[in-house]
Amino acid sequence: MSVAAVHSGGIADHIHPEPQGFIRRYVFSLDHKIIGIQYLVTGFVFFMLSGLLAETIRTQLLNPNGGFVSPETYNEVYSIHGSAMVWLVVIPLLTGGFGNLVFPVQIGARDVAFPWLNMLSFWIFPVSGLMLFSSFLMGAPTAGWMEYPPVSLQGQAGTSMWAAAIFLVGVSSTMTGLNFLVTILKMRAPGMTFTRMPLFVWGQFATAPLLMIATTALAAALAALFINREFGVPFYDPTKGGSPVMWQHMFWFYSHPAVYIMILPAFGIISEVLPTFARKSIFGYKMIAFSSAAIALLGFMVWAHHMFTSGLAPFLQLPFMILTYIIGVPTGIKIFSWTATLWGGKIHYSTAMLFAIGFVALFTLGGITGIFLAAIPFDLHVHGTYFIVGHIHYVLVGGSMMGIFAGMYYWFPKMSGRLLNETLGKWHFWLFFIGFNGTFIPMHWLGMLGMPREVATYDPQFTFWNRFETFASYLMTFAILIFFVNIIWSIRYGKKAGANPWGARTLEWQVPSPPHYYNFKHVPTVYGLPYDFSQPLPYKGLEEELTDSPPAVAAGAH
Amino acid sequence: MAEQRAQPIAVDRGFWTVTLVLAVLAVASIVFWILFPISKYLPEAIITARQVDTMFRFMAASGSALYVFIVGYLIYFSIAFRAKATDPPDAIGVQIHDNPKLEFWWTLLPAIFVLLLSVISVRIWYEILLEPENGLVIQAIGHQFYFSFRYPNVNGEITDEMHLPLGEPVTLNLTSADVIHGFWVPAMRLKNDTVPGLVTTIRFTPQLAGRYEIICTQFCGVLHSQMHKQVLVIEDRASFDKWYQGWQQRNAHVSNALPAAPGQAISLQGGDAAAGKTLFAQKCTACHKLAPFDQRLVGPGLQGVLHDPAHPNLVNGKPATPENVAGILQNGFTGSLGTMPNASANGLSSQDIANLVAFLNTLKL
Repeated sequence: MSVAAVHSGGIADHIHPEPQGFIRRYVFSLDHKIIGIQYLVTGFVFFMLSGLLAETIRTQLLNPNGGFVSPETYNEVYSIHGSAMVWLVVIPLLTGGFGNLVFPVQIGARDVAFPWLNMLSFWIFPVSGLMLFSSFLMGAPTAGWMEYPPVSLQGQAGTSMWAAAIFLVGVSSTMTGLNFLVTILKMRAPGMTFTRMPLFVWGQFATAPLLMIATTALAAALAALFINREFGVPFYDPTKGGSPVMWQHMFWFYSHPAVYIMILPAFGIISEVLPTFARKSIFGYKMIAFSSAAIALLGFMVWAHHMFTSGLAPFLQLPFMILTYIIGVPTGIKIFSWTATLWGGKIHYSTAMLFAIGFVALFTLGGITGIFLAAIPFDLHVHGTYFIVGHIHYVLVGGSMMGIFAGMYYWFPKMSGRLLNETLGKWHFWLFFIGFNGTFIPMHWLGMLGMPREVATYDPQFTFWNRFETFASYLMTFAILIFFVNIIWSIRYGKKAGANPWGARTLEWQVPSPPHYYNFKHVPTVYGLPYDFSQPLPYKGLEEELTDSPPAVAAGAH
Repeated sequence: MAEQRAQPIAVDRGFWTVTLVLAVLAVASIVFWILFPISKYLPEAIITARQVDTMFRFMAASGSALYVFIVGYLIYFSIAFRAKATDPPDAIGVQIHDNPKLEFWWTLLPAIFVLLLSVISVRIWYEILLEPENGLVIQAIGHQFYFSFRYPNVNGEITDEMHLPLGEPVTLNLTSADVIHGFWVPAMRLKNDTVPGLVTTIRFTPQLAGRYEIICTQFCGVLHSQMHKQVLVIEDRASFDKWYQGWQQRNAHVSNALPAAPGQAISLQGGDAAAGKTLFAQKCTACHKLAPFDQRLVGPGLQGVLHDPAHPNLVNGKPATPENVAGILQNGFTGSLGTMPNASANGLSSQDIANLVAFLNTLKL
């Protein structure tokens, strides 16, 4: 037997025996790629349910007096819409989904560091999702995804179920963060130094500590809320000496970093898609990579910018405003670098590329309105209004969801061996892009003119723009239906992709689609950054990957 | 691959033409935001509202100028550098990895801008914070689902409109009787949360007469979206005095007594049904109709609550007696329909409770 190559971290290179049987292969699988697909499928099912809730919200707002559902139901619907989109859709799709699917192959590893932990993280996720949606059966929470006490202490029985569900999905996130961090630190292929890692890996690398550290604060806050509600220990009850503002601190100490959990991996996706289809090296690799780390670090120091109206002392608010402004600098570096990446390229307009360019345009707008909101004087006007609803959707839908769609069109061939249909893809992109802007642009001026958020009915003077938004949102939903049709059709009838349909240069494209369960026959050695299209690929040891030869290290060898 | 390598690319005339066009568009957007008549759409009711609008103009102008450049270049590069049908399929772009000079400037310039923005924001914010401290001191209290106001020398709470004299500084102390509400007057460009157990303060000086909506911006319960029906009236001193004296007289006999605490003994003797009727209109109609039991708003209809053979028991299962109704008013109740706040949250003294029970006892089906 040939001498087993050794990972840079010193873990012996060996291949476990191939799992046998449907259950071990596809249900309780230890393979990071299968787990990634499980996350994607589950996440998109929750995405459909949350989308249904979103359209219930928009349909209610067709008329100033509502009338589609009762105010009680409406409050439940938007609370679960927000909670599910954050915790069951965007975070799991970007970390557990694309993270699992792609980054271990990109660093030349055979799997993540702790496959059993990975399987456990996944299986907690659908269970907590079902718990969250089951809260409808016992009276769902009504105070939005933020569930500020004391009103959440008055909430129906499902509010406690909500807290338990989010706590559990947080446990899953924490384990995923730990797993990814250890994998990136210890299991890179020989020669894969930090400054040779693909930018998607950098995105996951910056996200993992956020998942681990921030989520624990949320867990503590949720546990206290649950205990307050069920056992009467008055953590948040001001009539018995508790502090409702404490919830806000702990919630936002998590939820601001969570915004970066939801965007840093999407930055990574964009940084892969843009150079691939521009046929050109990414511009400013190091600045993009390090700015991710800077954003992750600064993300822990700005949480109170969500609380400028909560009665904090003015001198405490000041640093939060200025630190938030400062985050604009590394974010700007990324946006400028992506734009510059297109300069001098040979751009191929696949659907993935359209979504990536659309991402830059829409996310930038959300970023700019984010600076507006950080300015205390202006925030005192628009806090708690539709302005902020517009802002967050530009960042999370125009940003994160566009990134997720780009990733789906880009990596679908890698996971299934077939391409998504490009014609349907382009319909999806353009209808989504138009519908999205029509839905969320008017929210900015509605908020400034006096429309508060989380309302089941509204002032009749805002009827026109609300109807406009609702019709645009139907267009957006139609576009998403096209996307699902495309996926279902392409799994069976899509064009065969081959190993590398896009001519991409990162490691996952140098192995078959889908890759073998062991990823690489030989663990490759890495000699440089992947992004220079004028150079040969910077890898050695990949010659046999696309041949029929068996893996060099025998199955089961230790 | 060497022959595939594209020629080094120069910054050509096309680039400078596009840059010029974008510069013109950016200047146009700056001029647009400087001239945009914000006050035509939303009046500037207090002195610092204009400063907030100035802050917005500055950010909107610089933000749009930046956005014009980013999206402009994005579109221009997307068109100019698209792969053409005549290109060989394996054609590649110019491999530019970085440009330290460019990256230095696009880090430094935004950093300088952030510094400038910080200075402007702090300045404007301090103008809002440093409004005069003397002047009229008013307390606003958030309730599910209305605000009540306590004025100096007026007994009890005013629960319909809030009036302020033009040009005189106001100190508004905010607190809440139940959950967190947001006190927002869009025309003031100012809001703050009313937090139970905390008193927060905003100060301002009205400068424009008019009637302005007061809107709740923190979700506070099932009727949150209805919590925008009250108005702030800014008027000249004479009209304000008339209104103010009217309330001083009207509330002369209202007790300023503290709300009944849980467990405090309440005497139902001497309940005044007429006073109870007024109180009911102020404190109860947000959630209860004067209609039969089944016609609920949040809580049940209260017509004949003490004389309804079909509903001999109250929502808490106890018999419908005056003492048990007083018990709910004093201690509150949480059931399947939601929460009825207790006496301290509703600001009801023991005399108020006696008056309300006397009024409810007069209602027959």
